[in-house]
Amino acid sequence: MSSYTVNDTAGATAVRATVASLPLSFRAADPGETAHVHAVAGTPGWTAAALRAVDDGARGIVVVAPCVEDTSALAEAAEAAGTAVVLDLRWESNPGLAGAEEAVRSTAGRAVMLDSLAVSAAGSDPGTVLTEHLAAVVRVTGSLDALRILHLGPHGYTAAARLANAAPATLQGVLSNAVPAGVELHLHSDDGGVSVTVPEPSAAWPAEVRATASQGELLLPTLYETAHRNSWRRLKDHLDAGTLPADLAGFARLTEQLTGPS
Amino acid sequence: MTGNSTGTEILGVGIIGAGPVTQAIHMPTLSRLGDLFAVRHIMDADPSVAESVAARAGARHSSSVEELLADPEVDVVAICSPHRFHAEQVIAACRAGRKAVLCEKPFAMNAAEAAGILVAAKDTGVPVVVGAMHAFDPAWLAAESHWGTLPETAHTIRSTIVLPPNSRFEDAATEVLARPGLTAPDYSDPAAVRSALHGGIMGLAIHDLPLVRRFVPHFEDLEILQARHVRPFGYLVSLRAAGRSIELRAAMGNTWKPAWTFEAFSDDAALRVDFSPSYVQAGSAAATLSTANERRSFGPYGHNGYEGEWRELARLAGGGAPRRGTESLIDDLAFALAIAEPSAEAATAELMGADA
Repeated sequence: MSSYTVNDTAGATAVRATVASLPLSFRAADPGETAHVHAVAGTPGWTAAALRAVDDGARGIVVVAPCVEDTSALAEAAEAAGTAVVLDLRWESNPGLAGAEEAVRSTAGRAVMLDSLAVSAAGSDPGTVLTEHLAAVVRVTGSLDALRILHLGPHGYTAAARLANAAPATLQGVLSNAVPAGVELHLHSDDGGVSVTVPEPSAAWPAEVRATASQGELLLPTLYETAHRNSWRRLKDHLDAGTLPADLAGFARLTEQLTGPS
Repeated sequence: MTGNSTGTEILGVGIIGAGPVTQAIHMPTLSRLGDLFAVRHIMDADPSVAESVAARAGARHSSSVEELLADPEVDVVAICSPHRFHAEQVIAACRAGRKAVLCEKPFAMNAAEAAGILVAAKDTGVPVVVGAMHAFDPAWLAAESHWGTLPETAHTIRSTIVLPPNSRFEDAATEVLARPGLTAPDYSDPAAVRSALHGGIMGLAIHDLPLVRRFVPHFEDLEILQARHVRPFGYLVSLRAAGRSIELRAAMGNTWKPAWTFEAFSDDAALRVDFSPSYVQAGSAAATLSTANERRSFGPYGHNGYEGEWRELARLAGGGAPRRGTESLIDDLAFALAIAEPSAEAATAELMGADA
């Protein structure tokens, strides 16, 4: 296949710009043409919109910044139809997190503390930011134990958890316009640790992953690609291979941690 | 007291306690401030340590606080003894009628001791400086003069300390004599965790709690959200006070890479201060004030807060007005105690809960 056609119901600049940056892989569907891929905005009701796309025969769906919803019906329908559903998450989809995941994995057993800070614009919904933040953190650390929200208010939040080795972990959210939005993650070990900074997906500034050990510090290669484009490339890989991503299952685990079992 | 090249008086210094803090911090700092100070008397419970450290500055030595306070060449007294002796020695130094007193933090370990210091300071008029060096860091002071309404509008404050063992920097600052031995605590014992948390707040977080308090107008409603022990030594504490979220982090291990930051955020402004590590004379912090469209940087300057606190001591000994009254210092201590006690309890409970 030369390229997959896209129906952009999300209507986001990010979708248009991202699809345009992958011209050999995707193109906008012509009027009346049945699109292979549907882009869906992750606003409330997104699971229903994605279900309609599945019913319309979509081979792939990209959900941009999904809010917390019950994804069980969508997951079931997508699997039955063989539809690949990729969630384009604000920070979790940054391509630099693949390297971070590996660096963290090699340190996690020796970790003594995880401290993560997310900054988002003043006035943001703190619950949404926490969901986006947690998605990025568990992407690199794996699931956290005993997650509990200690405080959540108009200026941010604090959540506590434990790493697999029982070391303490804290996620803090700060809502402020004074510094660029993004996520920092610091996994401390006795001899150093791993630090990750994840920028906003609006531009292709790279995440930075630094692994520190007794012999020095290593900056992993920086990847100048937006989280959005990384999501679309990942969908392309699944479509080409005929495989289904585990995004919905992962999102369900994530939201269950925040809201309890549904 | 003798004269210096500019015609002002050189103040004689007496130091109580000659351990690594005196050796690695105050002696090198005072050697940089020869126009203001001369070390005249070193006291330590170990006579050989007192003699050796005093010899570095050509000073007298003794093993008696009373002898040091009776030394007519001692104008200002620095108290660098173990924490439990601080209050009685501050009071004794005030009563001895010295020009000024510098006490390492914390200057008391409970409210009763602090009240005793307040009475002595008021009775004698002797100014007391607590050696919270970051509060005297020139980058912090420069930011302070430009941060506008941030203390009133800040809603989030963070203090993060990542350090190797003290010996790493002590050895880079001096050649330490008679370093105290350390034993690894048994952290399966709740009492050891309790002690570690309390010690972490009163011995490490205490460096920056006066800075935190600048952004917390009152703390009667202080609530500990979580307090957890970080191995081998450190803490992770989340609290709320006066509508602010306050996060305290520390991890001391064997990393070579130190990090010591203080941050405050409001909706529209933020402060970040990156401090140089303890002990070494590594210049000042670097501070940045940010808004959505502007960043202003302050520092690094050539001297750090250790030198800053001694310069302040000289100013006070010369009759300068205190920037902060003793009551404010006591409020700082009350703030630290209000965090330390419940944090120690919470961390112990967390450990026992995790074990259950």
